[in-house]
Amino acid sequence: MAQLLAPALPDRARMRRSAPAAVSAVALIAMLCVCSSLQPGVLTVEGLTLVLSATVPLVIAAQAQMTLMAVGDIDLGIGNFVGLVTVVSATLLVSSPLVGVLVLLGLVAAYAVLGLLIHLREVPALIATLGASFVWLGLGLFLLPTPGGTTPGWLASFGAWQPAGFPAPLLPILVVALVVYLLSARSAAGVRMRGLGSNPVALRRAGLRPLTSRVIAYATAGALGVLSGLVLASQTGGGDVSSASSYTLMTVAAVILGGGSFSGGNAVPWGAAIGGVTLGLVSVVLSLLDVRSDMQSAVQGVIVLAVLAGRVVVGKVLR
Amino acid sequence: MHVDNLPAGGTAPPETDTGPAARPPVVTARGVTKAYGRTRALTGVDLEVRAGEVLGLVGHNGAGKSTLMRVLAGMEACDTGTVLVHGRKASADDFRSVRMAYQETSLCPDLTVAENMWVSSRHCLPRLRWRRAASDAVRRRLDEMFPGHGVSPRDRVEDLSLARRQMVEIARACLVDRLDLLILDEPTESLGPDAARSLYAYVRGLTETGTAVLLISHRIREVLSVADRVAVLRDGAVTAERPAAGLGEPDVLELMGAHVAVPDGTGTRTAAGGAAARETAAELRGATAPGLREVTLRVGKGEVVGLAGLAGQGQQEVLERLWRPVRRDTAVNVTRAYVPGDRQRSGVLPLWSVGDNLIVTALRGIARKGLRRPAEERAVVGDWVKRLAIRGGAEAGITELSGGNQQKVIVARAFASPAGLVLLDDPFRGVDVHTKTDLYRLIREEAAKGRSIVWYSSENAEMAHCDRVYVFRAGRIVAELTGEEISEERIIAVSFNEDGGND
Repeated sequence: MAQLLAPALPDRARMRRSAPAAVSAVALIAMLCVCSSLQPGVLTVEGLTLVLSATVPLVIAAQAQMTLMAVGDIDLGIGNFVGLVTVVSATLLVSSPLVGVLVLLGLVAAYAVLGLLIHLREVPALIATLGASFVWLGLGLFLLPTPGGTTPGWLASFGAWQPAGFPAPLLPILVVALVVYLLSARSAAGVRMRGLGSNPVALRRAGLRPLTSRVIAYATAGALGVLSGLVLASQTGGGDVSSASSYTLMTVAAVILGGGSFSGGNAVPWGAAIGGVTLGLVSVVLSLLDVRSDMQSAVQGVIVLAVLAGRVVVGKVLR
Repeated sequence: MHVDNLPAGGTAPPETDTGPAARPPVVTARGVTKAYGRTRALTGVDLEVRAGEVLGLVGHNGAGKSTLMRVLAGMEACDTGTVLVHGRKASADDFRSVRMAYQETSLCPDLTVAENMWVSSRHCLPRLRWRRAASDAVRRRLDEMFPGHGVSPRDRVEDLSLARRQMVEIARACLVDRLDLLILDEPTESLGPDAARSLYAYVRGLTETGTAVLLISHRIREVLSVADRVAVLRDGAVTAERPAAGLGEPDVLELMGAHVAVPDGTGTRTAAGGAAARETAAELRGATAPGLREVTLRVGKGEVVGLAGLAGQGQQEVLERLWRPVRRDTAVNVTRAYVPGDRQRSGVLPLWSVGDNLIVTALRGIARKGLRRPAEERAVVGDWVKRLAIRGGAEAGITELSGGNQQKVIVARAFASPAGLVLLDDPFRGVDVHTKTDLYRLIREEAAKGRSIVWYSSENAEMAHCDRVYVFRAGRIVAELTGEEISEERIIAVSFNEDGGND
């Protein structure tokens, strides 16, 4: 009997792992149905573009968060970091593109250094990234005290790009998820990162330096954060350091919705993408449903809790 | 791809030699000492592992085995003394051909089997398409070592059973282009008897190609049957080295300095005949669940009931049922406490001290109106620390303790609570003889006070300490042994009896 059961087990385990993402995908489809019943236009290419575009920067930031959660850390500074990138792109990138690009690369490097410090000084990531978030905020306010600025032409034209036949926002969402998937799930670097979140002792015994794994993860997260900020700037047409402050916790929620965990070891790029889109769509649905704007946050929270509860129930059934 | 090569074809062909003594040493330790803070783990070890031999290393927990292993495998530098690989002072590269399979495994649970192979054997894998190469290599190695293993390279390690994880861990250690010394740390603790047999057959094959194998195990009989030589480690030094041939289990125990406690049949055991007359503490009536079929059993007050049989035949499911009773077929009339076997995963609270770990179950009983009473807690903790001679005392961090002492704390945690029924889930895996003897005595003492104990053990010899033993096969009870009937031979005979369980 044990022999008979054995081959069935891994499949069940795989199902259990993809269950959270499946639950949020169901929620996503349900919300699309609600949207389209209220506004039949939503299901057209233009409608989907409109609905999805707001979720793109969030989804990319969620991938950054996912990368750090895969090594067992958490990033409480990603919101302000994305905000800072929008500020840089609205000021330096317009006035002197070269300096702007260098500053953006410097921000990626800063993330790598942050990872280095977290590892060497054994500071909890929670505290270090929280501290860094104030640095990002301060830098952003220094560069651009009030929201404003403009967007470089190429970035604005990317934001306005409307290909025929398919909704434009899908492209960055899928491409970024694919790249992160290749990096985190298929590559050797990804194995190192997940190994660090899973069992650092085993990594050390095998002669792999956990430091390298962590720095790779942080640099990746920094690069994704910059990308997210650029996309956000292309949509808003300016810079505002606090424009993305809600991302910090939304991205964590997106990763959890997608099947990630706080303990690390798990990379869920597709799940994070689905979770991010689901979260982003909630506010669209709520405004279509005429929920009062002062109530939206509360309702949004309740919907997230409901999806998470669904995840728990499905997890129990599949146990 | 060259991980598939059988190891060490190029080194020291053993055809010419006349006996193990003539073979060249692979790894030599001379006067090795190592101290952690004030504890001296190794006090001067001289040991030679020769090509093509199986060297058995025995000694109880705390004798310094784990430390010696790490030093020999190049994981840690020694304080004084030298470790030579092939006669020269070893650099990190020389240690690459020394591989170790850890008892607690050294795998990343969230990674797949193939990815774990990359982590530890990446030097021998191609840079591109390594996943395919690792999968092929590990599948082939597992097929050679454990026919019918049921592990796919794409499985995540966390989804595998303890036994399969151990198989993967051993295969991981063997997966290298050149293997000079293989260190096996308690390799069979989680393996079933079949897997253990095929492992040792493979080990024999390895030594024929000139690889040396260092085998650490508490199962002395196993060591004696596999090893060419046996080295005894005691208080951080090798105190004896004997050829295994002609050595018996009692001899080895004596060399280890153990006073072999022979359970004296009826003396310590409460009269077995009274079992039926006892008040029922818990019972299962025809319980059927995944892994359980029509199991009916009864536990009396003050009784020690053993659950025996091959690993994974439903014993743990019974414990689970008693721990979380299902009303329709389970009745438990007393409070319960549970002692997990996998102490790394479900036993210890690693950030807490010994005292906090010990008292956590009893906490509520001691507390008044929801407020803790530190003085009383300290008294209870101090009492247990003294009673079980837990090294390090109540204030030490739990992870600073050796495995055996951690296990003592976990067992004490259950018995310090007022629970009337204590469930033991194979808690003495990999625990040294001294600790075991202490804990066996504890179990009998506590049973005499009227507590009931349900005890699953993969070590059949342990069952001699029970009043009654149920032997499981394929989720059914195939035999109930009482008193004098309980013996290792009898249990093995019943659990292997084919017509007992299967349909």
